[in-house]
Amino acid sequence: MEIDREDGRTPNQLRPLACSRNILHRPHGSASWSQGDTKVLAAVYGPKAGTKKNENAEKACFEVIWKPKTGQIGKVEKEYEMIMKRTIQSICVLTVNPNTTTSVIIQVVHDDGSLLPCAINAACAALVDAGIPMKHLAVAICCCLADNGYLVLDPNKLEEKKMTAFAYLVFPNTTLSVLPEGSSVAEGEPVEHGIITSVTHGVMSVDDYFLCVENGRAATASLSAFFRKNFQQSQKDSSKAG
Amino acid sequence: MAAKVSVSPTSLIDQIVVPGDVVLDLSNMTNQTIKLGSGLHQDNDVISAMRAGKLSFCKPNKYWVESSHKRYIPRPEDHVLGIVVDSKTDNFWVDIKGPQLALLPVLAFEGGTQRNIPKFEVGTLLYLRVVKTNTGMNPELSCTDASGKAALFGPLRDGFMLETSTGLSRMLLSSPTCPVIEALGKKLSFEIAVGLNGRVWVNSAAPRTVIIVANAMMNSESLSVTQQRIMVEKLLAKISD
Repeated sequence: MEIDREDGRTPNQLRPLACSRNILHRPHGSASWSQGDTKVLAAVYGPKAGTKKNENAEKACFEVIWKPKTGQIGKVEKEYEMIMKRTIQSICVLTVNPNTTTSVIIQVVHDDGSLLPCAINAACAALVDAGIPMKHLAVAICCCLADNGYLVLDPNKLEEKKMTAFAYLVFPNTTLSVLPEGSSVAEGEPVEHGIITSVTHGVMSVDDYFLCVENGRAATASLSAFFRKNFQQSQKDSSKAG
Repeated sequence: MAAKVSVSPTSLIDQIVVPGDVVLDLSNMTNQTIKLGSGLHQDNDVISAMRAGKLSFCKPNKYWVESSHKRYIPRPEDHVLGIVVDSKTDNFWVDIKGPQLALLPVLAFEGGTQRNIPKFEVGTLLYLRVVKTNTGMNPELSCTDASGKAALFGPLRDGFMLETSTGLSRMLLSSPTCPVIEALGKKLSFEIAVGLNGRVWVNSAAPRTVIIVANAMMNSESLSVTQQRIMVEKLLAKISD
């Protein structure tokens, strides 16, 4: 059963991706990430000495500030901040710089669907630019369910409004390894099969959810490859000195 | 479009790596001692990259990830430029662009005794040596070299300080002499102090020389050897008109 998307994409096709790093002068790391028309700017300050109250002083602390494009900061923004803080805490190595705080500021430039995954990708690129130690990268994708049961990846705003349910999924990136195939296991399953964050809206059946996760995971390979290639390109451009 | 990496690369040395890439397999090297530098993290038998950059190897056994950032990770025996932010009875608190403020003991000067403790105001720029860095503790600095001599460490007066990235600092300190500094040194006279933490201090008799040198160094970050020489020549030609 074919589904027609307004911009002519196939159901599993992502919008054009663009990423640039080190674009802002004052923050210690910055990146902008855009998927189609959705664009998010992320800035990282840190690590700076001292943690906030009630935070464990033996680990690094992260704080996320979400700035919407227009309007006051409300509950939606606070929820995004909390989700992003938990995601970042699970991908960063917290023991390297204990008793420090790293701030991540997200500025929404334009929202055309799939905003939180775009912000997570931007934050990850900014953390890489700042040199914050990380266990692996996070790649995020939005996967939604139309009312005829068909699954679609990376919707834009109009498509998101028409869907019955959608899920924001964050996976670890696909890594290069000098180990032979299949030997990087954690508790019996390859590390690439993990999932970092999952946020769902709407109602979907369990089978549909697992199908979303599978489709999302398949798309992470192309997102990881894009990130790696983008990084290699910028290194080549800036290091012609050798 | 999901392309699976079916052949694992035998070696990632001199390649760009991103966080999460497994760079060394320890099960093949049981009897060797390996030294891990910045950007690498050990997790049982697996060494993976924590930062994105180029994986480098130096014989016999040193591995590290080379990358350039605006912040600095302190390492012992690095020479850095610090700014005094506070002074206490037995320590100065110095900012070296790292995750923690660093401590400079009040007696860590050549011939330092309780009677001749230096008085540094807040904001003084110092050329220092990192003595020790332990996780969780503030790094310690010193104004003497390992044998106790002053050896050019201490406050830097006059001049102009600029903030750079750590990669540019390393390039300016590379040997043989960096092309920018060599080309500038043929025509102008100035003195510089380069800190590995991304700070450079320039001083000269004339302010215009300071400005020319500072601008030339900032512009040279992504240029090759010949491009740097050409850039400096053009700059000097414009100035001497």
